Amino acid sequence: MSEAAISVANLEKSFPPARSGWRALLQPFEKPSVVALAGISFEVRPGEALALLGANGAGKSTLIRILATLLLPTQGHARIAGHDAVLDPRAVRRQLGYHAGSDSGFYSRLTGRENLRLFGRLNHLSNAAAKKRIASLATQFHLEEALDRQLRTLSSGTVQRLSLARALLHQPRVLLLDEPTRSLDAIAASEFRRFLKSEILRSGDTSLLFASHTLPEVELLADRVAVIDAGRVLACDTPPALKHATGAPTLEGAFMHLTGRAPHLVPEDAPE
Amino acid sequence: MMMRSLSELWIFFWRDLSIARTYRTVFVLEAVEALFGVAMFFYVARFVDSPQLQHALPQGGSYFAFSLIGFVFLDYLNAAMDTFDRSLEEARDSGTLEHLLVTQTSLPVTLAGSAIYPFVAMTFRIAVYVAWGAILFHFPLRDANWLAVAAVLIATLLAFSGLGILSASYLLLFKRGNPAKWFLLGVSSVAGGMLFPISVLPDWLQFVAHLNPVTYALDAMRAALLGGAGLRAILQPLLVLLLFAAVLLPVSMAVFAWALRRTKTTGTLMHR
Repeated sequence: MSEAAISVANLEKSFPPARSGWRALLQPFEKPSVVALAGISFEVRPGEALALLGANGAGKSTLIRILATLLLPTQGHARIAGHDAVLDPRAVRRQLGYHAGSDSGFYSRLTGRENLRLFGRLNHLSNAAAKKRIASLATQFHLEEALDRQLRTLSSGTVQRLSLARALLHQPRVLLLDEPTRSLDAIAASEFRRFLKSEILRSGDTSLLFASHTLPEVELLADRVAVIDAGRVLACDTPPALKHATGAPTLEGAFMHLTGRAPHLVPEDAPE
Repeated sequence: MMMRSLSELWIFFWRDLSIARTYRTVFVLEAVEALFGVAMFFYVARFVDSPQLQHALPQGGSYFAFSLIGFVFLDYLNAAMDTFDRSLEEARDSGTLEHLLVTQTSLPVTLAGSAIYPFVAMTFRIAVYVAWGAILFHFPLRDANWLAVAAVLIATLLAFSGLGILSASYLLLFKRGNPAKWFLLGVSSVAGGMLFPISVLPDWLQFVAHLNPVTYALDAMRAALLGGAGLRAILQPLLVLLLFAAVLLPVSMAVFAWALRRTKTTGTLMHR
């Protein structure tokens, strides 16, 4: 059996309590006591798409940020393509592409091409390789027009596609998406999902781990779904298997059954 | 490895130059501002200059040349101490910080790369000040030893970059403020020889001035620019500056790496 694209074992993460006023000065040195992840384990196989489904504060973003080497775990292991996120973060970063829907993370005065070139070069692509890759991704992602315009003039949907292109520039084996459609309107979000499905997942070359609390997104994109609540994985299976196991007709029903409370999720017919 | 790091440094410089080029009028406005600054020092000097004052200055000559060097050089120190936390703050606020940290470029290269353009721009700014002074107000340049001037600039830059990186570490941990900068600039404005020679200070303040790297930097710069001193003549202040750099740079890099690790533990990397 081939090596797991992502492997997470007994992962725990706690944060120090938030402080205000002069006590905030002590926060960097306080003991972590607020539990965000309470011992999470799962694997993502090569070419597989796994959704992290949970309410706000369930621990989805924390998990993704640990895998992206942006947070350090309190306990346990997180590995990408066999490399440990704590012990060998640079090797991990070679293997991953990261995209967060909450911010674009681009230089607004640079053009799309300049931004992509910058991040491509910082991911060790040669100038020629970066140019070639940008041209190829621009065609694939319908970004040709955006390449020569400053970022601040582009629509949020285009910027999100550009951000996804950035995550794929160095052809990573693993793609981490944190609520990728969070800042998009309903139409742009729907296009983005279709695009992700047809252009990224169809090839089977890239493994995808994405966090979402948007049910249509999860059902459309995920091979398996990990239901997370209060920092624990309650179940991890295919959407039909989750429905079958809980006896619920919908994924929303399965989620409610598993978590035992009303979810803060977007039902399938609601606008985003 | 070396070539790759140089290429990464270049790409950071190119990024900042490309962004700066989108604000073209700023160049013109800064040149005009420099003209007013130089004119102000010229007329203040005309008001206070006397043979006794000229005799009290280390290189002799006019108070205009003495004070202008003090003024623009302190601006340079300000930039050296400001540039790291300003670029960190901008990256955090624009959301690019996370995306820079998930690239394969190392942290020291990212830090150094973000500082190159501000330093080059500041050096250019000093050149504009001196050029206005020379063209319109008879600032004496005929004796300048340009090799020694360049050596002083580089040694100063290295010495003060350590302090800049320390203040960026403070920003990373505590989110606001730069106490080291304000303390050093405050002390330097009195006990650094910026607008008057330190010989006019009481003994205890002269002692403080001799502990202050700014004093050595200004002495060496005035000696090289006004007195035509060569490398041999300014060896002592140069060595003091390089000693500051040799101690501060590794310490500050270690502190910054620790601060970054701490924010990855506390989850406050992107907090403002």
